[in-house]
Amino acid sequence: MTINQISDVEFGEELPVFTPDTSLDNVRRFATAAGWAGPRFTDHEAARAEGLPGALVPGIMSQGFLAAMIHRWAPESRIEKVDTVFRAPVIVDQPYTISGVVTDIDEETETVEIDLTVNNEAGETRVFGTATVRIATPA
Amino acid sequence: MILDLHTHSIKSDDGRAKVPNYCQWIRAREIPIDGFVLTEHRQFDAESDYSSLAAKFDLCILKASEVETEYGHVLVFGVTDALLSAFDFGDIHLPLKRVVEACAAHGAVPVPCHPGRKRVGMQAHVGEFGVPEGIRIVEIYNGGSRDQEDQIAQTMANELGYLGIGGSDAHIVSHIGRCATRFPGPIGNTAELVEALRAEDFEALTFRT
Amino acid sequence: MDIEALKEEFLHKDFDEQTFEIDADDVVNFALACGEVAPRYTDPGHPDFQAPPTFASSFQAGRRMPEGFPKIPGLGMDAGKAASLKYPIRPGVPLVGRTHLHDIYLKTGRSGPMTFLVMRMELYDPDGVQVATADTSVVIRERPGK
Repeated sequence: MTINQISDVEFGEELPVFTPDTSLDNVRRFATAAGWAGPRFTDHEAARAEGLPGALVPGIMSQGFLAAMIHRWAPESRIEKVDTVFRAPVIVDQPYTISGVVTDIDEETETVEIDLTVNNEAGETRVFGTATVRIATPA
Repeated sequence: MILDLHTHSIKSDDGRAKVPNYCQWIRAREIPIDGFVLTEHRQFDAESDYSSLAAKFDLCILKASEVETEYGHVLVFGVTDALLSAFDFGDIHLPLKRVVEACAAHGAVPVPCHPGRKRVGMQAHVGEFGVPEGIRIVEIYNGGSRDQEDQIAQTMANELGYLGIGGSDAHIVSHIGRCATRFPGPIGNTAELVEALRAEDFEALTFRT
Repeated sequence: MDIEALKEEFLHKDFDEQTFEIDADDVVNFALACGEVAPRYTDPGHPDFQAPPTFASSFQAGRRMPEGFPKIPGLGMDAGKAASLKYPIRPGVPLVGRTHLHDIYLKTGRSGPMTFLVMRMELYDPDGVQVATADTSVVIRERPGK
């Protein structure tokens, strides 16, 4: 269900799970646009030479995936704050799931709080955080 | 009574959960726990008073700490002013012996948490430093464990004769209650929690799927 | 390392100021790569065209650390990002970012002892109105394998 106003939101509601594109091509596209095109994000071998398990999906890209999930769920919503903790590396070319769940609704301010997670195939949380999102009633 | 003995709020550097939201979540989602213990990293939150929140949601909300030693992270239940004066909770290189002795002197209980975890778990250091004295309980179910970390913790607990507790290690609201500990009787305050841990009659639970 | 002395000397003092020009193509590529589908982020012709909110997290200070801050050996990585938006970030509207060190602390984790540095960048539009705040937690840890 697409969310258009705060009254559409249910406490505990899970946002539709979103599978992000973590391919090297897409990460390169992102890194170039964001001005973050360092080899640890765009080249597996260079990242391994740094002692990393492979090229990394930039933390800000994981944050961007989470924001995109929110906008897909509530297209007219405005993210007032998104706060993410990068607990463990998210690796390029590996599958992840992007999840969110509503943990608070404030009808007065027309905002919701959402728990955010990026999990790997084993179900381990690699990134977690919260977002405060305004879902204003249409005029 | 079932308590989640390991949770973090926004008082911890990496905690993103507000305590009222934990309470709402537990009740709305019918999480099978009767309360939780806030174990903030490297500190004791002396200032927050959650009594009205606890009453409103009919939950037991207690406070403890998670400190850092050469054996990894250790939950400390039963923190008092005297214990806070006994060592620096913010020190990331605390000698476990000192923590254990201070707990014994001031009526607190130290519990190494996620002991199967690399570097910050006790098992990783037993080979180098030996089996520490004064430990009776370790966390055998941790909601943030990866791979075989809980299995390593349980094996160590079995081999060394430790009792086990469970805690979610929640840093966000929706992770609370993933693991917990069942006690046979009611617990309403920190003194009763300490007494229940010392009675050594409890069971670690996991609700992770 | 004396954290308290470092806090006393360096916290809450702006050490960098940068002007950022926001390019429409970069905004579109950023948005599409993240999986955004809302036209206000992906279509430069949309009347409300703007950058996704997390674009605020991508701005980097010119100086990584305040002048005179001691070098901490190890591998530095982002440990977290927080972006707070008051107004949309729009291509064509340059922003000035002022950065200060907001917090310093130590902890231990799966990879051993770690130093955390929290940088806060406040972003202002040409009228001096604060548009956004972006916090970056940088963790410096021993190199893997050591």
